[in-house]
Amino acid sequence: MPKLTLFYCINGIAGVSDLAVDIADVRTVKLPCSSMIKDFILLRAFEAGSDAVIVLTCPEGQCQHADGNIRARKRVERLKMMLDSIGLDGRRLMLFNTLPEGDGITEIVKQALSELEDLGPNPLVTPGHNSARLIQGASR
Amino acid sequence: MIVAEQKPIVEIKEMVAPYRRLLVLGCGTCVKTCFAGGEDEVATLVSALRLAFKVDGIDIEAEGLTVERQCEDEFILEAAEGIARNDAVLSLACGAGVQAIARRFYQTPVLPGVNTTFIGVLEKQGLFTEECLGCGNCELAIFNGICPIARCSKKLLNGPCGGSRDGKCEIDPETDCAWQLIYERSKALGKLDSLKTYRPARSWQASSAGGPRRLVREDHII
Repeated sequence: MPKLTLFYCINGIAGVSDLAVDIADVRTVKLPCSSMIKDFILLRAFEAGSDAVIVLTCPEGQCQHADGNIRARKRVERLKMMLDSIGLDGRRLMLFNTLPEGDGITEIVKQALSELEDLGPNPLVTPGHNSARLIQGASR
Repeated sequence: MIVAEQKPIVEIKEMVAPYRRLLVLGCGTCVKTCFAGGEDEVATLVSALRLAFKVDGIDIEAEGLTVERQCEDEFILEAAEGIARNDAVLSLACGAGVQAIARRFYQTPVLPGVNTTFIGVLEKQGLFTEECLGCGNCELAIFNGICPIARCSKKLLNGPCGGSRDGKCEIDPETDCAWQLIYERSKALGKLDSLKTYRPARSWQASSAGGPRRLVREDHII
């Protein structure tokens, strides 16, 4: 089953904590604002074996911290280029700032899985990889 | 502060390729402020390098550490243990920091992870501009606080070139004409007369043209 790590802003997106999908192994990480996401944390998620990493922000113009979601988008855009440079494919890092109609988060997971059909699993994953340990390590 | 820019990850990867245990060493002063070599950039690079080599099927051990300043022994010593257990150091400090580490750890390869670019200021968030060339003979008093040596594309000392348009430099329309700025500030200070003083051809001996420079403070040498 594909592994996804989903970082989300608790102010902009509701219902992620109740996320239950049986089509992917989704690990969710709460953020007080999407601008709190840092490059190395996203990279650690890939080191931890995620096939794709998703950042969910609130819609631009609606951040209660002024421009946090714009900062998040710019960081993600920059990091996607780095992922391309190192051969991991920046398309594995995705950002959404609105919930699709219908099933919302589940729909986003489906979109990510659709992208992964082209990309395949994380090429770096080795058997027995301890994702929990690496994610904790991201806090230094 | 000294402004630097991180080298492309591909260039860094090629540089560190011979080594399997790597210390990425950040500097917590200038390069931290310009997002090139502080704690966050160190952590990102450590992770990125591990991933980059893993893509090629190579496992490397990379660890990160950031000291307050790589250009002072007092802080460099904090990195001694980390340096000792690794094959090489990737320094994210300016060129001075890289060389200071190389000098103190003579047997360890020390590689530059950033391109040191200029002495500048944070003009606004995310924008750094060059303000000083370190020429060794500061004349900012004459030019009322704006340096034509660093900020005029032609380094003119006796007025503008005539190519200025709408306060911008003809070399680069994103760059303010330094002489426009000098004129406006001198006028605001009521010191336009100071610009009438002819500046003779300048001796550049105090700058890097005179060879590597030293500063000796005898009163601090025991």
